[in-house]
Amino acid sequence: MDKEKTFTNPEHYENRELSWLKFNGRVLNEARDKEIPLLERLKFTGITSSNLDEFFMVRVASLKDMVHAGYKKKDIAGMTASEQLDAINTATRALVDMQYSTYNRSLLPKLKNRNIVILDAYEDLSEEQAAFADAYFMETVYPVLTPMALDASRPFPLIRNKTLNIGALIKRKGAEKEIEFATVQVPSVLPRIVEIPSAQEDGRTFLLLEQMIERNLSKLFLNYKVVCAHPYRIMRNADLPIDEDEAADLLKEIQKQLKKRQWGEVIRLEVEDRMDEKLLSILKKELHVADADVFEINGPLDLTFLMKLYGLKGCDDLRYKPYTPQRVPQIEPGGDIFAAIRGGDILMHHPYQTFDPVVEFIRRASIDPDVLAIKQTLYRVSGNSPIIASLAQAAENGKQVTVLVELKARFDEEHNIVWAKKLEQAGCHVIYGLVGLKTHSKIALVVRREEEGIRRYVHLGTGNYNDSTAKLYTDCGIFTCSEAIGEDATAVFNMLSGYSEPLSWNRLVVAPIWLRKKFLKLISRETKHAKEGREGRIIAKMNSLCDKDIIAALYEASAAGVQIDLIVRGICCLKVGIPGISENIRVRSIVGNFLEHSRIFYFQNDGQPELFMGSADWMPRNLDRRVEILFPVEDEEIQKNVYHILEVELADNTKAHILKKDGVYEKIDRRGKTLVNSQDQFCKEAKVKEPKDKGYQERVFIPAEPAQ
Amino acid sequence: MKITTFAAIYIGSYEVSLKIFEISPKKAIREIDHVRARVEIGKDCYQKGNIGYELMDELGNLLLEYKKIMEGYRVDAYEAYAGGVFRDIKNELFVLDQLFIRTGIRIKVPSNSEHRFIGYKAVAFRPEFDEMTKQGAAVVDVGGGNLQVTVFSGGRVLSSQHMVLGIMRLREQLSSIQNAVAHYEIPIEELVNKDLEVFKSLYLKDTKIKYIIFMGEYVTDLMKKTDKKGSQLATVEKFVRSMRKFYRKNIDQISAELELLHENDPLLVPYIVLYTRIAEELDAEEIWAPGVNVSDGMAYDYAERHKILKPLHDFDEDVISAARQLSDRYEGFSPHIDALVEMSALVFDAMKKVHGMGKRERLLLQTAAILHDCGKYVSIAHGAECAYNIIMESEIIGLTHLEREIVASAVLYNTYPMGDYAELADRLDQESYMTVAKLSAILRVSNAMDRSHKQKFKNVKAAVRDKQLVITIETGDDITLEKGLFAVKAEYFEHVFGIRPVIREKRVYK
Repeated sequence: MDKEKTFTNPEHYENRELSWLKFNGRVLNEARDKEIPLLERLKFTGITSSNLDEFFMVRVASLKDMVHAGYKKKDIAGMTASEQLDAINTATRALVDMQYSTYNRSLLPKLKNRNIVILDAYEDLSEEQAAFADAYFMETVYPVLTPMALDASRPFPLIRNKTLNIGALIKRKGAEKEIEFATVQVPSVLPRIVEIPSAQEDGRTFLLLEQMIERNLSKLFLNYKVVCAHPYRIMRNADLPIDEDEAADLLKEIQKQLKKRQWGEVIRLEVEDRMDEKLLSILKKELHVADADVFEINGPLDLTFLMKLYGLKGCDDLRYKPYTPQRVPQIEPGGDIFAAIRGGDILMHHPYQTFDPVVEFIRRASIDPDVLAIKQTLYRVSGNSPIIASLAQAAENGKQVTVLVELKARFDEEHNIVWAKKLEQAGCHVIYGLVGLKTHSKIALVVRREEEGIRRYVHLGTGNYNDSTAKLYTDCGIFTCSEAIGEDATAVFNMLSGYSEPLSWNRLVVAPIWLRKKFLKLISRETKHAKEGREGRIIAKMNSLCDKDIIAALYEASAAGVQIDLIVRGICCLKVGIPGISENIRVRSIVGNFLEHSRIFYFQNDGQPELFMGSADWMPRNLDRRVEILFPVEDEEIQKNVYHILEVELADNTKAHILKKDGVYEKIDRRGKTLVNSQDQFCKEAKVKEPKDKGYQERVFIPAEPAQ
Repeated sequence: MKITTFAAIYIGSYEVSLKIFEISPKKAIREIDHVRARVEIGKDCYQKGNIGYELMDELGNLLLEYKKIMEGYRVDAYEAYAGGVFRDIKNELFVLDQLFIRTGIRIKVPSNSEHRFIGYKAVAFRPEFDEMTKQGAAVVDVGGGNLQVTVFSGGRVLSSQHMVLGIMRLREQLSSIQNAVAHYEIPIEELVNKDLEVFKSLYLKDTKIKYIIFMGEYVTDLMKKTDKKGSQLATVEKFVRSMRKFYRKNIDQISAELELLHENDPLLVPYIVLYTRIAEELDAEEIWAPGVNVSDGMAYDYAERHKILKPLHDFDEDVISAARQLSDRYEGFSPHIDALVEMSALVFDAMKKVHGMGKRERLLLQTAAILHDCGKYVSIAHGAECAYNIIMESEIIGLTHLEREIVASAVLYNTYPMGDYAELADRLDQESYMTVAKLSAILRVSNAMDRSHKQKFKNVKAAVRDKQLVITIETGDDITLEKGLFAVKAEYFEHVFGIRPVIREKRVYK
């Protein structure tokens, strides 16, 4: 009993928000890595900035909600909500300081060395540049600006979430005693950075849009004198409070709540440092922001513009060479994908291998006369998704198309509503998720009538059906036509359509009901082996680990002598190196050029290893409040390949950070070691795997030319 | 390979299911989809006695969804059956009509015996079945409305009993006291025990069964609990032991242990109690839960009717066997019955071209012949009426309700004159009326040949020649009685078939 208590003792757990901030710190580390090309470093800085925005909108917001509601329950590490907010505040300030010191002291000088200048003060403009900027302002910017002043007849305007604004104090000409407040939004429809003529030859200079507006602010308030003007930006609580049980139509309810989101409580105010005190106090008062939530920023607000700068033309030497995802050896482009799957299960490792077969799978199915039905879950899809187009096409071709669209996919709600309607119009049966559960599983099923009867082709993946992110996220997917999995897939969709669950499952393990138990069982089996003197071993790769039950089970396993290697990209509430508890656990986080996203689980099972992949992290939300699928890797060849992925990532000493006893992540001392960069290695391996003899014809149209 | 895609819709008392099957001679039956939705018809039905508008609406919507799914699979044929719950409601016809108009799906409501037979077919198509029934087995089908026990010995049906112990019914009966007791296993047991005792003393007196074959919800899950390997077979002792462990637990705990998604099914406890009590009471050794249900049976039935599959088990033999058991129970006189069965078959076969009936009617004729005397056990004077009632009240597995009516009527009009169609229209349709007329005519003539019950005729032959049915017999006995009666019966025969039966004697001297 006592022993059990030590495994669940809050002291042995890390707070998830602080752990997340550490992860963002690791991303920022990449931006500080001198071995990485300059524009890549800019991109990483931009990513940390947008990550932080999302973190505030969702996590900090819900903690604030808890404080307002007087919610007293402590988190996994024994902290109350307000304790967490305090700790987050301190950690965030440190992170932001680091961000801007990286930007100001490292990135800007490096850019300058390459004759690339980002001007963030209009005062620095040369005459020629100023003239250009003013002309650009009048022609392009001025028409879309809406300046708003505040006085007795005009209340404080709605400042939209995440938008950049310029606040100003103005005085009416002639009545100089009275100071008024005015604000104008920096239009998000225009590019944040404007290229202006450079002082140097072959140099490039950019001006931030807000600076251009600030310079010309007096043109907006003609009868006024501008006393001071400074940019500011707010973050609002963006969690949607949806009562699903009460909502008759989930689609309409979400639309309604989306409108409300723009009025959410302000939880962070970013201002330029050295902002006029009077201006700041007006903002704080009108936006109801406490001092603790004001961030004074030493540099341009909202660094996400750096991601735009990443695409700068003509600077290829400042970026990694673009990688082209390689062909999957078993699948011939233009060939019969169904025949290929019948030939045996096929593993795909994105983005090293191309995502095209998945797109092709659905496209083929939509036009194949023998295909009866296509069923698919969609969580996040790309803007102009070819998969959606194929699904609509399939419905028009008279196939039964069932699509589960997760409307609750955070920040994609609006986007998802649009194409969900499109699919409905095409005749697809669209299901808008399940009440109380997010459908996070990634599964596609094609039912095909063949000579031998109905055959089901299934694609199971760890990542979304999104052809754009498939080029950036590392994910695994499997094609199979195994009857057992096909039956399960059909059952999954029956369940998602609101029918009863199947009487039994063959292979798939499905959350929210069965998955947690399965994982706990798999872990405790290793514990049992270890206790009985056999070797116990677990390797698990995921995005986040913060489930208390699972961590406690891992502690117990470690205490029993099971060797555990965890590859956790983001949040990890588990602590390593606690005597008698987690000495046998090692945690590493790989942050590289591609976003690590696949989830792979290996259990040695006393010499008969079992490998699983799936859509779920070891987080309470994945195990309890989402529909997730864990699928076994059964094909021996594929097992080897998947195990290889784990092996290489465990050997990575370039991009891996190791979690230390004190909770700090450190890179590995590489002196005297052969360098292993897992992502690079997978890129190379994918290329080698491509068969030399192509065996298929590259299509070339030869134009007929007139005979001489 | 020709593959038929068949869909079976079944409306039970708390669930509506759709199963899609592929049927082919090579691969037999393969289930490709099983969709289930919870619709609590039983609740309305057992409390109010009819199906309310809202429930009908829900049913209609669901059937339309199912129709879409069937279209998706491009099914070649489908059938829709409703369970016993429909037989218990007052507005059955209106509901069926409304559903047909809304969905285009014709729902059949089979009689209890047909229903059981279909479910039983699914089991009987399994290879293990014949071996188990040879050693003695009871097929126990636990449904929402009823409980059916069919006892087999030596591979033949002994009896089939229908008890009003459905799960839904038990629950409704106990709904008023459900809150008054913490564990309502005990009141359920009390309700169940009486009926089981009666059944056991009447029908299992001299029969030893080895296997209980369970059909019904949750039994597969419960078996998993009994046998970790997920085998469908377990000893009764083990099964009961693991069931008894559930008695002290609440629904949440049981559901968690069984890993059920539907965590608060109020039907779960009644099921467990019923399975447990039956397993304890029937003195069997092993339990088999083949995991099939009515929907599977519908597919087998369809496959059999359309000659895609041939059953391993001879279902006609079941009918004969059940009829003989019934006849035995009422002390029917065996040598006479054998003679009658033989004689009527002879006449039937000789007249194939004249009567135009088939194999099935021949079976009905034999069944009628076997049962024609069973009423005398109750009353000699009103033997025919009593026989009619006995047949109508007995389960003869393998016969539909209408077929049972035909058999019973044929027995009745073996003795009584048969009235005009108008008089019988409430019981029989025109076609069945004709069948009854023909069967009873054959029965009468055949019966007349052994009026003394002494089997005086040997080497009987029958043939149709020149508008006459010539029955050639060898006998050494005095047959004045038979000849005299024959003339009377022949008239009715001629009325039905337009052919006159005549007897040709060949005297044999002993």
